[in-house]
Amino acid sequence: MMILKMKKEDLPAFLDSVKEWGELWGPVKKGEKVTYAKVDALSQMDLKATRTIIPPKKFLYPQRFTMFDFDQDGYVERKGDVPKRILFGIHPCDIHGILIMDKLFLENYKDPYYAERREKTLILGHSCIPDDKCMCIATNTDFIAEGFDLFFTDLKMFYLVWVGSTKGHDLVRMRPDLFSRDLDKNDILNYTEYRKWKTAQFKSNVDFTGMPDVFELGYNSPVWDQLGDKCLSCGQCTMVCPTCNCYNQVDEVELGSLEGTRDRFWDSCMFREYSLVAGGHNFRDKRADRLRLWYTHKLQAYIGEFGKPACVGCGRCVATCPVDINVVTVSTALKEQEVGK
Amino acid sequence: MTKQSPKIGVYGFTGCAGDQLMILNCEDQLVDIFGATEVRSFVMAKSDNHEGELDVAFVEGSISTDEQLRRVKEIRERSKVLIAIGTCACHGGPQAMKLGEGKFDEMYKKVYGNAKITLAKAFEAQPVDAFVKVDMYIPGCPIDKTEFLTAVAKLVAGRHPYLYKFPVCTECKWRENECILYNGKFCAGPLTKAGCGAICPSHNIPCVGCWGPTDDLNVSAEYDLLKEKGYKPEEIIQKIKKFGGAKVAQIVGELEKKKKEAKA
Amino acid sequence: MKKMCVVLDDREVQDNPFQPDMWRIVRKYPLTGDVNFFQARPVDVDEALKFNFVPGQFIMMSVMGEGEAPFCVSSSPSRPGLLEFCIRKMGTMTESLFALKENQTLGIRGPYGNGFPIEKMEGKDIMIVGGGMGVAPLRSLLLYILDNRDKFGNVTYLHGARTPGDMLFREEFLQLKERDDLRCLLTVDKDDTGMWKDKIGVVTTLFKDLGPIDAKNTVAAVCGPPIMYKFVMDYVVKLGIPKHQILMTLERRMKCGVGKCGHCAIEYLYTCIDGPVFSWWDVIHMKELIGRGANDKTIA
Ligand SMILES: Cc1cc2nc3c(=O)[nH]c(=O)nc-3n(C[C@H](O)[C@H](O)[C@H](O)COP(=O)(O)OP(=O)(O)OC[C@H]3O[C@@H](n4cnc5c(N)ncnc54)[C@H](O)[C@@H]3O)c2cc1C
Ligand code: SF4
Ligand code: SF4
Ligand code: SF4
Ligand code: SF4
Ligand code: FES
Repeated sequence: MMILKMKKEDLPAFLDSVKEWGELWGPVKKGEKVTYAKVDALSQMDLKATRTIIPPKKFLYPQRFTMFDFDQDGYVERKGDVPKRILFGIHPCDIHGILIMDKLFLENYKDPYYAERREKTLILGHSCIPDDKCMCIATNTDFIAEGFDLFFTDLKMFYLVWVGSTKGHDLVRMRPDLFSRDLDKNDILNYTEYRKWKTAQFKSNVDFTGMPDVFELGYNSPVWDQLGDKCLSCGQCTMVCPTCNCYNQVDEVELGSLEGTRDRFWDSCMFREYSLVAGGHNFRDKRADRLRLWYTHKLQAYIGEFGKPACVGCGRCVATCPVDINVVTVSTALKEQEVGK
Repeated sequence: MTKQSPKIGVYGFTGCAGDQLMILNCEDQLVDIFGATEVRSFVMAKSDNHEGELDVAFVEGSISTDEQLRRVKEIRERSKVLIAIGTCACHGGPQAMKLGEGKFDEMYKKVYGNAKITLAKAFEAQPVDAFVKVDMYIPGCPIDKTEFLTAVAKLVAGRHPYLYKFPVCTECKWRENECILYNGKFCAGPLTKAGCGAICPSHNIPCVGCWGPTDDLNVSAEYDLLKEKGYKPEEIIQKIKKFGGAKVAQIVGELEKKKKEAKA
Repeated sequence: MKKMCVVLDDREVQDNPFQPDMWRIVRKYPLTGDVNFFQARPVDVDEALKFNFVPGQFIMMSVMGEGEAPFCVSSSPSRPGLLEFCIRKMGTMTESLFALKENQTLGIRGPYGNGFPIEKMEGKDIMIVGGGMGVAPLRSLLLYILDNRDKFGNVTYLHGARTPGDMLFREEFLQLKERDDLRCLLTVDKDDTGMWKDKIGVVTTLFKDLGPIDAKNTVAAVCGPPIMYKFVMDYVVKLGIPKHQILMTLERRMKCGVGKCGHCAIEYLYTCIDGPVFSWWDVIHMKELIGRGANDKTIA
């Protein structure tokens, strides 16, 4: 790992230069919210924004895309239509989310579609200021040490820039004049100060310790039914969660032929159809069962397997669910055995 | 294709003919449809209409007269597959609720034209499946071109069309819209089947439910939420009624009950 | 379980795990009213002998333009070159599959899942209990065992069907009754034809004829409809067969077969990778494996 220093006023010039590698994307205002959009320059981005509506997973496995083209002779992998992209302004929680996705899609039967997009997408992270919905401190995802190509920490006067990959290093080498390695005592003090400051900014005091046990104990809790009565089965929580990966697939054909495409699109375990098997048996017919699966996956099962939650604390479920079902309300309800208002 | 091209027919009953217009609007693909199939009957599109055995019959509009009832039964008898197209045929549409006003967003006005329903009503309009077996539903008001064409392509290939079963919200999130409902305003997205591409919320207009109900909806939760946000029970029921037709009529009944219970 | 992965890894590594290969339907005929038998071989004949699998594993089968669905292989890896399936018409994909004719092509990718732990079963007495579609994976296991007969102890096969007409591979199993290195016990719930010469009664009635068994040295494989597990497991457990030696295959909705789509997830397991073969011990220690539901308070 290498840490470099950059003057803040040099960032626009740097981003301008890296566009030579690929399209530049960054957080851009959309109404009251933010979304990653293609931009020409830093000036179009909103770096103060906390979370985008959909996490950067949309770049690595889009909402809907074509896996294969087929004709009478068989299936041909669709590849090569993925543009090279540089994503600027990704926050630590979302990079942690990408690391979880990497594990799922790249290990044990590597998914070539994810792999190609991951390969062609550079992650340029950026430090952030938590708002009232951020809880990455509770999931231990408030800082990030890997998974990015470059990471920019805003220390007011300048940036500390972590170089996380050889590709990141290549970008630096496009404009070596903008970076320096002269780090002194003050930089260290500034950085430790920054970490303390960030930690003090969190307003949410949610605590996930012990959740696996609480889930186990609360498996039969009526709290699940109460939550199930409220849930709209709208699927929004799944679409916005950076660690939800479920998908469905469908074959479509051209009119008048048996040639066509096999497409993949985002699915949600909140839907009734999700666990339905032929003959009509449904393993999770009740909304309560589906909610329990979702939250068990985030806060129990994944911890059991990998020692950390599958929730990266981004707060999107909090900022999205119309009926206020999210990691905070669900874990609190389970602990207190009461669904809050 | 070694197979013979399938014989299809397109029929309109009580509705605004917007779905048939939509099909006619598929300019580029219309030629392909006529090429890949044998269109036996499509009164709006051609004059030499033959009846007889059909592989697929597309039926638009709800059924509201004895004559229509007789005719839809007759079409069913000679069709292998009968597909209800448009929300009127699938769920009864607005006229099934006797709302009569058929008022919805400006966006569709030009597609709809000024078709006023003046047919003498022998009985209250009902969806096609109230009278004959429907094999498939392609809802929409009017139907979505892409959804319709992909379904037709599959039928022609002898495959089963696949339509999204999840609600509008999912497509709405795919398009990264801010949620109207989260912000405290009415939106029928969670109750409504996807397929339209969430066009209304994408233009910051609430979904009014024109695709008809999704297969797993929680009306009671939406009702409670809107009430909490300050909507009056009558207002919520009125809004939910707007497009739903027959299936929602039943749900609304439940809501009325809920409303009364709350009062008691 | 992990051990089975070795078998997978030995195969030529494919770049795209979602890529179906084209196979040709060699034979297709009805086994019962709604179940068809399919035999297929790769279009590319050179691939035929490379397809290596373990009984109990499944493949993802594609009908072009319709989609994919998981099916167990019903033939034995000891008879390579062809794959056999027995498939029930259930919905959209299977309907289109049934419409295919001999010589037409379909897509196959796999094999997936853990399969039966064959190596651990070697040297043991084997008891196989099947009903309904559960016969699909069990036939693969049984044929494999018969082809490697000297590696296994006593073999008992119990099979129940609703009526003689519903009994999959009926003639095949009736022939097995003639063999003296295997006990093949068949029964039907009822017989309206009057042609059935064998037992009548539900599959559990066969346990009465079982006689003494060496329970601790027995591995049982049970597959059938959920209702069958409910009754059969009681009997098998009472025989004294250790819980981790009672195996069963589970069904879940599957879209990928390789642990990506999420559909088959149960707690921290994926049925497609960690299953579909689970032991009874797994099942009673994981709440959702056979969907025992929230209110099941039994401590098995
Ligand atoms: C590991 C495994 C092995 C199986 N082996 C066999 C077998 O040997 N013979 C046999 O007849 N059947 C088997 N099945 C069940 C078979 O996969 C379903 O009957 C089949 O998917 C039904 O598809 P359909 O499109 O006809 O039905 P629909 O009800 O129309 O299903 C639509 C979609 O749902 C999915 N789906 C529905 N049911 C299931 C299911 N049970 N499992 C996974 N996905 C499902 C399919 O992907 C399908 O595309 C097996 C299932 C699993 C999980
Ligand atoms: S939990 Fe909330 S966001 Fe998720 S499906 Fe239910 S209502 Fe929708
Ligand atoms: S569960 Fe909620 S807070 Fe956690 S990662 Fe998902 S959306 Fe973010
Ligand atoms: S705006 Fe409407 S359609 Fe979109 S997510 Fe919110 S409730 Fe659903
Ligand atoms: S968003 Fe709702 S009202 Fe608008 S077209 Fe779609 S279903 Fe109809
Ligand atoms: S079938 Fe997709 S994860 Fe198991």
